[in-house]
Amino acid sequence: MVAAIPPVSAGLLLDLVDSVRRVPTGRSVSIDFGTCDRDAALELISAWCLSSGNEIVKTEGSAVTVLHGRSPDPLAGLDPDQLPGSRVWVYTNFDCNLACDYCCVRSSPKAERRAIGADRLRQIATEAAAAEVTELILTGGEPFLLNDLDELVKTCTDKLPTTLLTNGMLFRGSRLERLRRMDRSRLTLQISLDSATPDIHDSHRGAGSWVKAVAGIRTAHDEGFRVKVAATLPADQMHELEPFHGFLDTLGIVRHDQVIRALAHRGVAETGIELTVDSLIPEVTITADGVYWHPVAADHDDQFVTRDIFPLADAIAEITRQFMEHRRSANAIAEWFPCA
Amino acid sequence: MNAPLTIGSVAYSPNVVPIWEGMRDYFAETSTPIDFLLFSNYASLVDALIAGTVDLAWNTNLAWVRTVAQTDGACRALASRDTDLVFQTVFVARTGSGFTGLASLRGRRLVLGSRDSAQAAILPLHFLREAGLNETDVALTRINSDVGKHGDTGRSELDALRAVLDDRADAAAIGINTWQAIGRGELLPGAFESFWASPEYSHCTFTAMPALSIDRSDEWTANLLAMDWENPQHRPILEMEGLRAWVPPKLDGYAGLVEAVREQKIPDRW
Ligand code: SF4
Repeated sequence: MVAAIPPVSAGLLLDLVDSVRRVPTGRSVSIDFGTCDRDAALELISAWCLSSGNEIVKTEGSAVTVLHGRSPDPLAGLDPDQLPGSRVWVYTNFDCNLACDYCCVRSSPKAERRAIGADRLRQIATEAAAAEVTELILTGGEPFLLNDLDELVKTCTDKLPTTLLTNGMLFRGSRLERLRRMDRSRLTLQISLDSATPDIHDSHRGAGSWVKAVAGIRTAHDEGFRVKVAATLPADQMHELEPFHGFLDTLGIVRHDQVIRALAHRGVAETGIELTVDSLIPEVTITADGVYWHPVAADHDDQFVTRDIFPLADAIAEITRQFMEHRRSANAIAEWFPCA
Repeated sequence: MNAPLTIGSVAYSPNVVPIWEGMRDYFAETSTPIDFLLFSNYASLVDALIAGTVDLAWNTNLAWVRTVAQTDGACRALASRDTDLVFQTVFVARTGSGFTGLASLRGRRLVLGSRDSAQAAILPLHFLREAGLNETDVALTRINSDVGKHGDTGRSELDALRAVLDDRADAAAIGINTWQAIGRGELLPGAFESFWASPEYSHCTFTAMPALSIDRSDEWTANLLAMDWENPQHRPILEMEGLRAWVPPKLDGYAGLVEAVREQKIPDRW
């Protein structure tokens, strides 16, 4: 009787066992299956990894990188609210009454609106709630430029707790009426203010903007909303925060609602910290153009993830997949340069 | 606090350092802290145990049998892995080779692993003898690729399987752990099949000399046996060392090897 010819050399299996045994758990080895049938070789290596508790980390040509043991959960160690999809950001629009010199999405009165629109926002809110998202965050541009903002916000607060980012300068007339119609029990307002005195704030955001923003904070607070205040500061000003916190205390903003963010080198900002996909924990971000990695880069192609907003769960899964891949390869790089 | 017990182990795998550092961390939280010393071969480890350089040795079955012989039975086995009590030797050939049992090896080519490997050399010859075959009835090839480590690296067994694939031998004798590592013939059904598996026997065991008091070794053993697979701190160590639970040793599982060592006149210091 003639022995059946295996579709892939059994020597590959022996090489695999031998090579993986020679490295400690947590390290990886590269196996070349040479001219073996590719599908059969990959099938064999996958089946072996599955049965032996090892893991394929990369396949490139005929080389397969196998990790001895299982990689740690790349998402372990993250706070639950850092997991992709725990919150979803939505850009309601991109136009703005201001034209700040550090705006990460290049908003201004001249910027195209690119509104998300009521229908899409309703579907986002519905699908987000189903996908176990815990919070929606609406931002722009300046959302209060939208005439239907109260309805947009309602479609969100009806489904999930929501935070609305604004420069706080437009709470007058019909816009104030719209604010008043929003659900105080489900909505937090986050208003931008960069300093305890007008100088720094106005130097970036325009003359007179500080006074109006502070008035907006007071109005929102008096209307019974929870108000967070967010400052965007260059790194060199991060050490002088106490006077600013003291000022916000006088406005009645509790300390954990006083948010300080580092200036990002994005949009029209000429300086700031560099934020790249592989260095940035994602925050699922939706604009009229599609899904982005992070709100700070919602106008930048390098952080564009997919044009398909729906199903939202798929978009979240895709960002999670990419994030896990980045974290794995970051671990692998650390492993390749153990002395560095 | 007690001075740490020194455990000797052979560096049989690149995982030995993380395993023993993990063990040291575990025992640091117990009443019997440990430190460890690594050796390149079992002869030196057994020498160090007998000389009192180490308090305990993590011995293979052959190292245990040799320690018993060199101490006239004064040494004690303290604990083994659950997997050590059910070790087996498996005879393997190319699928469809037509072997039906050990007797059908008569006149055929058998490849063995390292000469100091109980599972892949010493016991296979003993099993052949029990089946009525002596060394001249079978054409033997030996692959001594990891001598000194008692076959622990598994490398000689993989080389033996390569010899079968390359038609340098008709069958190979390997340990059940290597057979499991290549998927028991199920991953590539057309490549290998096993045609005989031995009765279960005992493999590694922690060995102590009388210089270590029974009270102290009992306390240490109780701490060892308390390692828990369900404990996320313990599990990675247990996984790397290839067990789910530490268990008391099974001494009658060494009887076949004692006999094989006598039959084959294996020297004391292997
Ligand atoms: S930073 Fe905010 S307020 Fe300033 S231009 Fe951009 S969107 Fe408008």
